[in-house]
Amino acid sequence: MDRNVCVIAGGMSKWGVREGSQRDFFQEAAKACYDDNPLVKPKDIDGLLVASAYTERTSYQTHLAPLVAEYIGVKPKNVCARVELLCASGSSAIILAFAMIKSGQADVVMVTGGEKLYTPQKWEVFYSELASVDHDWDGSQGLGLPPPVFAMVAKQHMKQYGTKKEHLAQVSVKNRRNAVHNPNAQFRKAITMEEAMAARMIVPPLTLFDCCPITDGAAAIILAAEEKAKELTDRPLVYIRGTGQASVNNMSANMPTWTTWEALKIAAKQAYTKSRVEPKDIDVAMTHDCFTISEIIEMEDLGFCEKGEGGPFVADGQTDFGGKVPVNTDGGLLGCGHPFGGTGIRQGIEVMKQLRGDAAQQVPNAAIGLTHNLSGFIAAHTVVIYGREP
Amino acid sequence: MSTPGISVLDGKYMVTMDMFPQQSREFNQIYPFFEHLKEGRFTTTKCRECGAEPFPPRVLCPECLSTNLDWIDWPTVGTVVEVTEEVVGVPLGFGKPPLVHALVDLQGKRTFFVRIINCREGELKPGDQVKLAVFDIDPVPQEMGREVVMVPRVFYAFEPVK
Repeated sequence: MDRNVCVIAGGMSKWGVREGSQRDFFQEAAKACYDDNPLVKPKDIDGLLVASAYTERTSYQTHLAPLVAEYIGVKPKNVCARVELLCASGSSAIILAFAMIKSGQADVVMVTGGEKLYTPQKWEVFYSELASVDHDWDGSQGLGLPPPVFAMVAKQHMKQYGTKKEHLAQVSVKNRRNAVHNPNAQFRKAITMEEAMAARMIVPPLTLFDCCPITDGAAAIILAAEEKAKELTDRPLVYIRGTGQASVNNMSANMPTWTTWEALKIAAKQAYTKSRVEPKDIDVAMTHDCFTISEIIEMEDLGFCEKGEGGPFVADGQTDFGGKVPVNTDGGLLGCGHPFGGTGIRQGIEVMKQLRGDAAQQVPNAAIGLTHNLSGFIAAHTVVIYGREP
Repeated sequence: MSTPGISVLDGKYMVTMDMFPQQSREFNQIYPFFEHLKEGRFTTTKCRECGAEPFPPRVLCPECLSTNLDWIDWPTVGTVVEVTEEVVGVPLGFGKPPLVHALVDLQGKRTFFVRIINCREGELKPGDQVKLAVFDIDPVPQEMGREVVMVPRVFYAFEPVK
């Protein structure tokens, strides 16, 4: 069996420094997802995948999927499990749900993901982050929150290709501006170039607005086999066309190159090939702007511009509305925030809306969309391509 | 020492809150790495079958799947490729900001992203030499039968060659 797979509903909780618990946010996300498509009922859902990275550390809760199922009224019968790949947990769960439906192992799968990252004392979040890299070898060098890693990337990209601090700032100005139109984003206030350039230092050359924040929140999306989707939605169908996920190293000492992300190029090639499209065919993209430099390198390694041209590509407005490929039209990680398990799902929801034609800031006639996550010490990359046609 | 809100944790060591790896024979098969560190040596495993030198050290060669591995010494002096200084977000246990990291070319073996200690802010620059620096870290209280034994531990960073 080889079936087409569609995305038929999606919604997210408010993201930010939230009052509430992890399970509160999963309920809010499920409610938003059901509200997005009232034709889908919990009884239609035969699979549930839950994406969360820090559930054990910050909520002291493992075996999360049955807990979430109980809270959101779902009684799965084909799959009920948690998926973890840190920052790409959500898109990893989407890939697995896609594969299960495509192969006939499930018909309608809800993928939900989120985190409660803020604990009553903030130091614990920074400390827990030592678990995100290779704990024994990189975490023990004090690599907790990732800014030092991406500062190292930025310094080398600047040295090799002439990328400027202004290019970094332009990414944050664009994504913050897009987040103004997203009611669920963590930051809904636009910033100026002057503010971005004058922001306080985190790890040189990265300043405050170059870094995505720590975020609480959740998101949910529902995938269905095409024949089920035709029964369960009256909106334009959005298909998942192809996916790729690659890793070529984990510990920092085994990173092949710092300014060209080999695993991203491999994952992108897989996704483009399976989807039968090329970079020039992508109408809208949500890429992993955990740091401004990330979005610049992603433009290069996804094939949207030449290697080393990411900075000028952004500066020319090619990633903004009216440019070659509008990127992070909902605000991205820099604007929406980044509750690890939720991010890939948030990206999928925005692409679904863009392809349905009902996004808050619509890219005219968007037909093919792409999502990308990186995770860990730039150790794995995940690409999903969506289309209005299968 | 009581822990507010979690009174049952009175004075308890928690592996889930430990920023360093376990180093005893009972909890880590590559414990010789840490024994060598105590002698000032930076070592890894070399495969007797295919000659690969993976890092971190292993019990299985990732190239040819042999378990026939020897410990070998790697250089303890390297050259700085780039430096970062973390001003905000330094995790507990790593001192007051800035936390200095450098990308260090270890004479072609690997390029390591390591912590730099004994170094003033702004002191280190690309091209400088740094050397292995080994220091004591908190011991682990480990149950040995009915006894609890304090297992001593060390870890490493690099420091400027003066």
